[in-house]
Amino acid sequence: MDTITKFQNRKSEICAMPQNSSPSARLSPTIMEKLTILTDAAKYDVACTSSGIDRRGDGTGIGNTLSCGICHTFAADGRCVSLLKILFTNECIFNCAYCQNNCNSDIPRATFTPEEICTLTIEFYRRNYIEGLFLSSGIIVSPDYTMDLIYQALYRLRTVYRFQGYIHVKAIPGADPLLIEKAGFLADRMSINLELPTSEALRRLAPCKSRNTILKPMRQIQNSIIHNKNEIMLYDKTPRFVPAGQSTQMIIGATPESDFQIMSVAEGLYQKFDLKRVFYSAFINVTDNADLPALPGGPPLLREHRLYQADWLLRYYHFTVGELLSEDKPNFNIYLDPKCDWALRHLEYFPVEIQKADYKTLLRVPGIGAKSAKRIVKARRGSRLDFADLKKIGVVLKRALYFITCSGRMMYPTKLDEDYILRNLLSDTKQVPREIKEEGYRQISLFDDVNFGGDLNVCVPMRG
Amino acid sequence: MYVFQCEDSIDGIFTGVYDAWASRYGHKNIRLSADQSGDITLFDEYIMTKADFEKSRKVSRTLLQRLGVEFYETICRCAMADGTLRKLPMDKANAVYQTIVMALALPEGAKVLEYLGEPCIACIFELCRQTSNEGHHLIEFLRFQELKNKILFARIHPKNDVLPILAPHFTNRLPLEHFIIYDAVHQTAAVHKASKSYLIVDASSIDLSLTEEYSSDEEEFRRLWCRFFDTIAIESRINLKLQIQNIPKRFWADTVEL
Repeated sequence: MDTITKFQNRKSEICAMPQNSSPSARLSPTIMEKLTILTDAAKYDVACTSSGIDRRGDGTGIGNTLSCGICHTFAADGRCVSLLKILFTNECIFNCAYCQNNCNSDIPRATFTPEEICTLTIEFYRRNYIEGLFLSSGIIVSPDYTMDLIYQALYRLRTVYRFQGYIHVKAIPGADPLLIEKAGFLADRMSINLELPTSEALRRLAPCKSRNTILKPMRQIQNSIIHNKNEIMLYDKTPRFVPAGQSTQMIIGATPESDFQIMSVAEGLYQKFDLKRVFYSAFINVTDNADLPALPGGPPLLREHRLYQADWLLRYYHFTVGELLSEDKPNFNIYLDPKCDWALRHLEYFPVEIQKADYKTLLRVPGIGAKSAKRIVKARRGSRLDFADLKKIGVVLKRALYFITCSGRMMYPTKLDEDYILRNLLSDTKQVPREIKEEGYRQISLFDDVNFGGDLNVCVPMRG
Repeated sequence: MYVFQCEDSIDGIFTGVYDAWASRYGHKNIRLSADQSGDITLFDEYIMTKADFEKSRKVSRTLLQRLGVEFYETICRCAMADGTLRKLPMDKANAVYQTIVMALALPEGAKVLEYLGEPCIACIFELCRQTSNEGHHLIEFLRFQELKNKILFARIHPKNDVLPILAPHFTNRLPLEHFIIYDAVHQTAAVHKASKSYLIVDASSIDLSLTEEYSSDEEEFRRLWCRFFDTIAIESRINLKLQIQNIPKRFWADTVEL
């Protein structure tokens, strides 16, 4: 309770600050004011990871990177803070309806200089506050002008300060391909936000952007990465282009797409554009625009969570979207994670014998993750595994026990029956999502039902 | 049963391994113990060992030559762990001994670390993971403060002896900085001089008053960081339970922003 009030006090301080001493009233806002405005403007971007590349420092500057990524702290919303996530400027000539920085909104505006960005990054990095820089920007003057400013900041950071930590940079849609290419040789990861899953939604809410201006640079970066990899095979010393790959993000819940549509788009991006990650951002209505849905129950966090779970199943568990969802069943079950849900609908594959099943089969068992599946495959060469060993290895037995046998035996006598397993899984209140426990069943079905009142029986799993 | 009582450190445990091996009582009749609580069992003969650097070095050399760097590092991380934190199937030092005996006896050598069904391996796995996890947490949550003389100083309170994990990481990351990481629990410190390698030293007689005078910029950057940290959170997503789950409260005191 104490922490909440403390947070809100600090928060109101911050919100009050720019209005009391509006930067436009004075000639130059302080660095504290700029940081506040441009952090606040950047916070809805989700991709704050620092993973995907191992690079040792060369001893002449500062910094290195670890491919597992490092989260330096966690904000009050529980999200990881890994990079100094800021906008270069929140001035913008675009008018995207969902964005608080659009040219029609009346908010304090600020712009960093490249030198200020370098100082903040280096001083924070030395103190081990951050893992690197995440630089995005509103569109000031023109896309080319903005991209050039970003390039200058990165160039200064990499060459003058010899910074070898992580840099994630946004490619500005519509910027000259040459500028994007130059920035790509300085950054570790680049991203272009897809913003909305369908081009129809994009046309409606972000009229200055189009599928074409987003997908074209995405394709360009993909081609440059492939080209660069081939070059590195020939010449070891070639500078590396976007070595940690590219990512994108989609806003979830601002437009009426189903989970099936969203996941199909994500699958397409992974397969056709070689993306490293697709991020999903639960829509938060910050502009009070009449075209956007009001969400009285808060942002659709549970839906976002289910999409991330499914995203992991695509990338690490060899699932396809077609297995998880279909036209007839377009949305995820809010009570069960997608893997459990799939297993319950495919009981013909179970139970799985731990001593014999191959790696890919083990991956499909609820409660067994990629790490524990690998450990099982290795450990069973040494000795027979029983349920106690599985627990030590890291298997979540309370979920897995319905689907596995050890040396032909189940852990308890259980029935291989959909209703029976479902009842038992949900009787453990820890397995029921927090949102459902706290808000009750009714409210969640209101905003999680993306058909806006159409099909209500998608989320009624209990029968009897 | 002969019980070799050893000191709770890498050198102490390795000395115990050396003495137990050299005693020729037979592996079945030997148990090692790094337990410092003083509880002893009836009908067992206790043999005290004293950490000996020479013996420990011999064990290290054998492990590195016959079983490889990875095996050696796993065993070291296990020895660095605090063995009293959780209920283990056997004593830390004993698990180390049994694992080494098993690895040297079997043709697959270092691969025995994958056989998690064996109690001693499960124990090593658990302790190694405990140290590695805390090491990674502190790589994330450790904070440097710039002192008046431009030295970066960090204070940590780890449960396991993680300095050997932190020091190489920060040496590679900040090669041109002077820094000190002070482990207040184990009274040791990692000291790094710009462009040189690091040293891990005994810091039981450190004068902490020198670490309270910050450089002129320090306060300003701390305030900027706190402001950034408070601003980056999204109000409609606030979830303090998730925050505590991700950064456990015991780390909060040594950070700047929490």
